[in-house]
Amino acid sequence: MASVPALQLTGLTKRYDGGFLALDGFDLTVPDGEFFGLLGPNGAGKTTLISAVCNLIRVTAGEIRVFGHPHTSREARRLIGLAEQDVNLDRFLDVEETLLFHGGYYGMSRAHARRRAREMMDVFDLRAKAGVRAPALSGGMRRRLLLARALMHEPRLVILDEPTAGVDFELRIELWRYIRRLHGQGTTILLTTHYLEEAEELCRDIALIRDGRLLARDTADALRRRFDAATLTEVYMKAMNAA
Amino acid sequence: MRAGLLALTHREVVRVLKLWSQTIAAPVVSSYLFIVVFGLSLGGRIREVGGVDYEVFIVPGLITMAMVQAAYSNNSSSVFQARFDRYINDILASPMRPWEINLGLTLGGVVRALLIALALLALTLPLADVPLRQPLVLVAATALGLTLFASLGVVVGIYAQTWDHAGFVNNIVILPLTFLGGVFYSVDLLPSPWEELSHANPIFYLVQAMRYGFLGAGDVSVALALAVTGALAAVMVVWSSWLFRTGRRLKP
Repeated sequence: MASVPALQLTGLTKRYDGGFLALDGFDLTVPDGEFFGLLGPNGAGKTTLISAVCNLIRVTAGEIRVFGHPHTSREARRLIGLAEQDVNLDRFLDVEETLLFHGGYYGMSRAHARRRAREMMDVFDLRAKAGVRAPALSGGMRRRLLLARALMHEPRLVILDEPTAGVDFELRIELWRYIRRLHGQGTTILLTTHYLEEAEELCRDIALIRDGRLLARDTADALRRRFDAATLTEVYMKAMNAA
Repeated sequence: MRAGLLALTHREVVRVLKLWSQTIAAPVVSSYLFIVVFGLSLGGRIREVGGVDYEVFIVPGLITMAMVQAAYSNNSSSVFQARFDRYINDILASPMRPWEINLGLTLGGVVRALLIALALLALTLPLADVPLRQPLVLVAATALGLTLFASLGVVVGIYAQTWDHAGFVNNIVILPLTFLGGVFYSVDLLPSPWEELSHANPIFYLVQAMRYGFLGAGDVSVALALAVTGALAAVMVVWSSWLFRTGRRLKP
């Protein structure tokens, strides 16, 4: 019997108050355990899609299910971890507090949150900065903290919105290594990125979107065959130009 | 106890304590100066108001003024900052219920206001012999007043587009209404129509309820004062609850 998809979008539509149609009847299924890449130019609807899944915007029409639960339910919310594109850390909290309070928001007991925060600080090499407030951290450290916060409550679906935007090559490789390990442990990953080599390197399945619509979705190899392209960059250009 | 609500309330209190020089010390010092300057200097000229020494008469109103401003400004700035920096998303995406988020954010301002009130009382008692004649009324007035202004702060923090918007309500609405709400005088002493107009000021009723709690006397009946404050608090709670339940203004 097939397992319940990690994420299922049916006819998802989002029209902002100003009238801009960001998503137009969007259908997408991300199987449990998938490493899924979402590619598209700025304004394609990637962040809107993620925000809709995470209850950060109001959906105009359609349905979102997370492991079978309606996305607005508390069960669904508990199963999602989100690292947003912009570094949105609480300026009044230090590294350890950021993780502890996040754990609290997600219902973790204080003792459990403390153990998990220590674990996350070790994994992301943040222990030496435990008492440093977010604004005083370097850009790379803030990115790590953002990722640690997203993983703090052990979500089954991790959504990473351009997690390596603006980070140096070494940190990017380090983050890739961690994200791969996370996927290897059974976590479903939904990744948006502008770096096509990143999508090719990490994602098993890739969706190309533009103007709030799904243009194509398949493995990198299958997309190359379908678009008669040598590289994913070529696939991307052909798909976007044809749209 | 719900972990999410506890964590958010704790976060709000941590913010207040980390910024203690701005959030606690500054309002305590300014309110204390009001008590010292107005109470001790004017107290020599205005001996009594309604049978109460002037330096004692002004204390309940000044404590009220400090509390409502703290409850409002704490929550409006905390919520606006969280929206501005977008770390409110960490809370909105969590499994917390809308009422838990609303209550957690509201309690930050309540705690700050109570800390200021206790500090002011402790500093004032050596200067003025302020009685506590109706403790239950004082508790009720404090609870209703703080609910009203802490919730107003949350609502304005959600609607505000700039820091100026949050400051505007405090400087142009709350502060003048507080000064005109009988903090420094009994409205019975005002000539018509100012006395009647004072009764249209919602903060007047809160000041009267608080004064009744301390001194056992006020310009209007305590039942009316508590009823008006309670009704306004209920409106604010319904408004802020609606915003969190529907996501209006919080979620595009």
